[in-house]
Amino acid sequence: MPKIGIMSFAHMHAYSYGACLNALPEAEFVAVWDDKPRRGRAAARQFGATFVSKLEKFLDLDLDGVIICSENVKHREMTTLAAQAGKWVLCEKPLATNVADAHAMIKACEKAKVGLGTAFPCRFAAPLRVARDRIVSGEFGAVYAAACTNNGSNPGGWFAEDMLSGGGATMDHTVHVVDVLRWITGKEFRKVYCEAGNVLHRDTLETDDVGLLQLEMEGGAQVSHVASWSRPKSFPTWGDVTIEFICEKGVLNVDAFNQRVDVYSDAAMKAEWVSWGGNPDLGLVRDFVRAIMEKRPPCATGLDGLRATEVTVAAYESLKSGNVVKIRA
Amino acid sequence: MNLAIIGCGGIGRMHAEMAARCGLKIVACADKDPDAAKALARRYNALATTDADGAIRRPDVDIVLVTTPTPRHAGVVIDAAKAGKHIFCEKPFASTVQQGRTAIAAVKKARVKLFVGHVVRYFHEFETLRAQIQAGKIGEPGYVKMYRGGIYPGGPSSWFRDYAQSGGVTFDCMIHDLDWLRYMFGEPDRIFCQALRRSEPEKLDYSQVTLKMRNGMLALVIGTWAHPAGFQVKVEVCGSAGMLQFDSNISSLSAMKREVKGAGPTMIVPSSAEDVSPYELEWRDFIGWIEGKHEPRVTPEDALRAVEIALAALKSADTGRPVEL
Repeated sequence: MPKIGIMSFAHMHAYSYGACLNALPEAEFVAVWDDKPRRGRAAARQFGATFVSKLEKFLDLDLDGVIICSENVKHREMTTLAAQAGKWVLCEKPLATNVADAHAMIKACEKAKVGLGTAFPCRFAAPLRVARDRIVSGEFGAVYAAACTNNGSNPGGWFAEDMLSGGGATMDHTVHVVDVLRWITGKEFRKVYCEAGNVLHRDTLETDDVGLLQLEMEGGAQVSHVASWSRPKSFPTWGDVTIEFICEKGVLNVDAFNQRVDVYSDAAMKAEWVSWGGNPDLGLVRDFVRAIMEKRPPCATGLDGLRATEVTVAAYESLKSGNVVKIRA
Repeated sequence: MNLAIIGCGGIGRMHAEMAARCGLKIVACADKDPDAAKALARRYNALATTDADGAIRRPDVDIVLVTTPTPRHAGVVIDAAKAGKHIFCEKPFASTVQQGRTAIAAVKKARVKLFVGHVVRYFHEFETLRAQIQAGKIGEPGYVKMYRGGIYPGGPSSWFRDYAQSGGVTFDCMIHDLDWLRYMFGEPDRIFCQALRRSEPEKLDYSQVTLKMRNGMLALVIGTWAHPAGFQVKVEVCGSAGMLQFDSNISSLSAMKREVKGAGPTMIVPSSAEDVSPYELEWRDFIGWIEGKHEPRVTPEDALRAVEIALAALKSADTGRPVEL
């Protein structure tokens, strides 16, 4: 049974991954390391794992894999150290905030002969899986266009600090949809144009809170994408991932997290959308554990993380230059 | 006051009814297709003719309604102005900025009134969105998403299906949203557009437009004539202290008819169950302006600017680059 550790609870998804590890019979959630000992100790206690305050001691543990949920800019260092210690790595998205870091992470894992996964749980969301199956089946013919959104609420904290996050809503909320479209169409992104704004949270954030991307894929499909932290505190859920596919033989709409029951509770004094859908994080973590057991690459690899990062980086280049930017691939 | 209708297609018929509701008398119906002219004229006991100029110049005509295909709008507006008639012109005002400028000059010279039907400014749902924003409910708006469209309109030989004439969904349909954005949030600085404009194997258009507004706001506008059926309008306005959403699919009344295969409807007019149609409201606004009661909500310059912005979108789609406005 693979023994897994979590490195850093800076990203809130770590709490979900911790719960998933505990829910999986085929994995053992052994240890936590965090550069903020208080946070790490509390999380370890919550999940029944051991907190190890010294990084070297954590890496000396008999762990098969680690899940890295640090601030974005620390992914490279943690991944490299974990790989050198022979651990398989599942890294929170975005894999990196620049292309060089992503390449270095892939290289380090290759050299150490450990698998590297990027946390793209959308690949395990049933509505997106069904959308992929239907498009891949050819039932809708060619994909001509897609209009996408990944809206969320203001995460605050380090997300809004450029030095730790590498960027704002565009950095945070571009890669999921980029990965999903690559995964569904099997095609790469070729060009991007980006506008971004910071009107919504400019009192509290130094980064962009809305990014509007216009992209072109191999074969010419035209894509628009909204990466935002635009959902107000009063909104009934955290946000969304939606895609409208315009295809040769029809239109397919997917609203990945809209399997919901609407709850009106006087205790909350705001409407709540409670999901009845599956938990994509569970699929993601299970895949990582099984990849370790089967010695195969995780579903979304480091290369997938790199490709998504290339798009985000090009979007920020476009924002700076005001022009369409070609994406290297 | 008496009305001559130039162009008796779907939109012409709809405006005829609205004008009649406002007390205008329809005296002449002109169309290149005599049957279309006759069909509409019969309903109002009006003269049916293929001679647009003759209809415009009739001494008993006070107002000319221009509901021809878009490329002819400016020419008919100029003819009507020269004949000293007030003019209600369907959007888009003109096919080119130059046409629009020439038409406005003719209208100014003749001292007649020109109104262009940017009817979305009169839609109850859009007025409600406007009131909520102006009341400060969502704080400072920072990002807007607008979505409009459905099936590709027009029969197999319709001018809508000729991109050179209609401009596709970007020019003919999205111009509503481009106008409303400017009406609400001021001038755009920069525009970027990707537009499908396919003809094979089927007519399909899907347009995605990004606007950077002068005040720092962002807008994404999507127009579709790529759907197999239906018509939908969605608006989302995100602010510093809240958000507004409207979706025409969430409605008090819905109905669905089986449609004929292989062709779209001749025109698409979004409709809800309401006491007064927004199309009637724009006629009331126009008539009140003629009667000297108030200034209109849409000026000819607004209509020209909407044409400029929509054409800039198409230029961006053609060149693959952003266009500064």
